[in-house]
Amino acid sequence: MSKIRKICNKQCLTFTLFLRIVMIISIIIALWRRDLVWVVGTFFGLFISILPSLIKRDAKFTLPWILDFLIALVTILHVGGRLFDYYYTIENYYLVTRFFISVLVAFIGLSMIYILDEHWDGLRMDKYAMGFVTVIFTMAVGVFLEFIKYLNVTGTYYVKTNHVLMLNLSADTVAGIIIAMIGVNLIKSGKFDKITDDFGNEIDKMVIERFEKREKKN
Amino acid sequence: MKNTKLRFGEIILSYALKIVMIIFLIISIRKLHWEWIFGCIVAIIVSFVPTILKRNYQITLPLILDILITFALILHVGGGLLGFYDIPQYDTVTHFISSFLVAFLAFVIIYILHVYWDGLIMDKYAMAFLVVITTIAMGVVWEFNEWFTDLIFKTAEQWGYEDTLKDLFIDTIAGILMAIIGVTMIKRGSFDEMTGELGKQIDKRIIKSKREEKNE
Repeated sequence: MSKIRKICNKQCLTFTLFLRIVMIISIIIALWRRDLVWVVGTFFGLFISILPSLIKRDAKFTLPWILDFLIALVTILHVGGRLFDYYYTIENYYLVTRFFISVLVAFIGLSMIYILDEHWDGLRMDKYAMGFVTVIFTMAVGVFLEFIKYLNVTGTYYVKTNHVLMLNLSADTVAGIIIAMIGVNLIKSGKFDKITDDFGNEIDKMVIERFEKREKKN
Repeated sequence: MKNTKLRFGEIILSYALKIVMIIFLIISIRKLHWEWIFGCIVAIIVSFVPTILKRNYQITLPLILDILITFALILHVGGGLLGFYDIPQYDTVTHFISSFLVAFLAFVIIYILHVYWDGLIMDKYAMAFLVVITTIAMGVVWEFNEWFTDLIFKTAEQWGYEDTLKDLFIDTIAGILMAIIGVTMIKRGSFDEMTGELGKQIDKRIIKSKREEKNE
């Protein structure tokens, strides 16, 4: 069994590495097309995708590989969409990208709730309540994304219609529900604990313990 | 003494708002606005739900919740019947009151679950965060409802991209405001006082917790 897991982990790592190689190719294509805006965009994307590895090296962090993979995937989808105009040429491409962004947000949300539940005295939550909070957290973050789009902080062009807005919010909700269902099942089987164990312990040492000590002092 | 005076004032206000609702019903009957006659009757029934719950099921809702429900209904019915929706930003105020009501309900439910249910123990600031995201999520659900209504019945519940975003922004502000008020009230102990009776009744009928009391 552990042999299979090792092979799987190795393949997942290879896949994440493959995603990063695709990103580097994207940068080269952007340079070749002299699309300087997207050179910066793809560099930023690559930086985000390797951020978990950078954090891991500097602060002895062990991010769950799923998180690592999702960050790389979302960045590639977004940057690739901009670079190759998939946002305009492939119908509903924006919706697919948005869905995976929301999957990432939902996974981060559920992980945070689970870690706080395990390590912080200020939160004890039933697994189904965790699922519910994951869904509403994803929906709320989706609304914040829409506020940022409206304010146009990045100066990027977005389609601003009510129909697209509602489709985006639907994608957030569906992604939140899917991750909540998968997450609750993983919690039940004890697998979610294994996924977040190292990461949770690091967060506990770096943030929660310090916070609780400060609270006790006050 | 001060609390008794305040409670008496709240009861008077609650009944005054219900009388306003009955006046709206009389106006709509005189004008023969069938849509608003039906609206007023539904609103009056809804506004009397807290009284019915208390009399028939011995469930006492916080009086402020009673007032907020009736006030939100008055604003909506009055807006439609007397044409107040034409007043600039009237829709914004109405939406804000409704969102605040949702946020208040969310805070009450979370707090009661925290006190009586073994499945939830939360720090007050975590509760505040949960109230904000719940209010925003409920706002999204409301927008889904309007969107589907428009798609199925070809109505115009949603006025457009900016209006939908404005509604969601109002939900966020209402959630944040209720979160701040709620945390302040928990610190002072007044939130516990306000929800104590309702909490005990819900625990007795639904949660059925084994513990006598759970410390914050």
